[in-house]
Amino acid sequence: MTDPFIEVKELSVFYDGTTPAIRRVDLTVDEGEFVAILGPSGCGKSTLLHVLGGLLEPSGGIAEIQGRRLGGSVTGLPPIGYVFQDHRLLPWRTVAQNLEIVLAAAGIPKEEWETRIDRYLKMLQIDRFRSVWPMRMSGGQRQRASIARALAIDPAVVLMDEPFSTLDEVTARTLRQELLEVWGQSRRTVLFVTHSIREALFLADRILVLTRGPAEVLTEVTVDISRPRIYEDPRLTEREAALVDLVMEPWEHTAASGEAP
Amino acid sequence: MTAANTPRAGRRGGVLPPLRGVALGVLSVWAIFVLFLLWVFGGASTRFVPSLAEVAEALPGFVTDPETWADIGITFRRVVGSLFAAAVLGLGAAYLIYQQGFAGQVVSVYVRLALGLPSTIAALLALFIFRRSPIGVYLVVTVITFPFIVLTLLGGMQAADRRLDEMSRVYRFGTRRHLRHVTVPHLVPYTFSAIRNENAHAWRVVVLAEVFAVSNGMGARFSRAFDRFILVDVLLWLFAFMTIMLATEYLILRPLERSALRWRRPSSTQAAEREATR
Repeated sequence: MTDPFIEVKELSVFYDGTTPAIRRVDLTVDEGEFVAILGPSGCGKSTLLHVLGGLLEPSGGIAEIQGRRLGGSVTGLPPIGYVFQDHRLLPWRTVAQNLEIVLAAAGIPKEEWETRIDRYLKMLQIDRFRSVWPMRMSGGQRQRASIARALAIDPAVVLMDEPFSTLDEVTARTLRQELLEVWGQSRRTVLFVTHSIREALFLADRILVLTRGPAEVLTEVTVDISRPRIYEDPRLTEREAALVDLVMEPWEHTAASGEAP
Repeated sequence: MTAANTPRAGRRGGVLPPLRGVALGVLSVWAIFVLFLLWVFGGASTRFVPSLAEVAEALPGFVTDPETWADIGITFRRVVGSLFAAAVLGLGAAYLIYQQGFAGQVVSVYVRLALGLPSTIAALLALFIFRRSPIGVYLVVTVITFPFIVLTLLGGMQAADRRLDEMSRVYRFGTRRHLRHVTVPHLVPYTFSAIRNENAHAWRVVVLAEVFAVSNGMGARFSRAFDRFILVDVLLWLFAFMTIMLATEYLILRPLERSALRWRRPSSTQAAEREATR
């Protein structure tokens, strides 16, 4: 049996050394898999992504990508694409320049930049915005550029932190559909954080359901619906209802939980 | 994103209602016209100010006199040199204060002292210390403008977008790339804001320092004309002063700022296209 592409074992993160954000989380992801991490708002799911992105060090347990241990120096770690909740493009650089900067930082030879930029901007259907500053684009176009930036560096894994949650529903639906098409073409390993059950079911092969914060693993769900999927598919509705039933009690805020509403 | 936000309006004029385009043009012309009317009326009916005709008659001689331009050039160099020194020192001081270390605390004491120092006292101190050396003028303008530049740049550093810092770490920009593509561009609007505000301040202070401390430059010429009670010259130097100050602001600094920050403004065609392809 081959080693998992991403392996997280008993991972814990404490803020200020005492406040737990996530507690003893286990996760394995195979290469090319699309895995969603589902949890209520504020449960600590983004914290898990921060650890995998090298933004936070684990307080306990281990996190590995391609057998490389995370925490400490990023030298030698595989490249990681990150799509944040907001686009986080440099507003003073054009779309193409934003991609060039990450390509340079990832050590991609300059001769390859043009081809890669063309390819991913076309893939995300924003090639006509290559010389445009992000502030002159819509929210959906900026998030497309952010996804193109994440893919352009040939990342080992793409981490996506609720990337469509700030967009209107129609734009978000279009982008979810396009994301699956892009994923189908690139076959990158994707870890997608969301609090939307429907979104997780539509996108992922597998869903890791977390509890309220501090996050622990509640259950893992395999989405056995063939692709391409349709957002309005009754099978998704059926599974959504089952999942809502499952999480209703553990996610519900109670005074006894001590969590902020 | 906060990184794209405009720095707070400068401490001068920040509470005035904003004027743009045609309204600004019409009101400016009207304000100047009213001033001219008052001048024509005052010049004709009193002996407090020379008449418009007297000043107009002296204007060609004033403009073509090489000494006029030599003195304007001297003052201009003093303003630019002092502002440059204040900007460099201000950047360093703002960085040290931002780091919140011991050095920053020491620097912040000097900034507070400089903030409380009146320009006239600074000019007199420079006269006592440097006698009639131009170094005193440079020092006065630098010391007076420096703390305000520190405050504006410090505000910029404190408003840095932590989310872009995270992005830069995830994509492993490293220190040099981070400085070049994240930190410096973020500070550009704050630097322009500081320079624009302090340019106007520096012009006022330099003239004051030149009145006290040196025998050349626009301030010295003002002083000479005033001592000899040549009111025509006083008015001509006043116009020269106002013209240069406004021209520096509106013909040099603002166009430069607009060009450097053009990434902020959506063009109408792009906005239309954006709407069509959300």
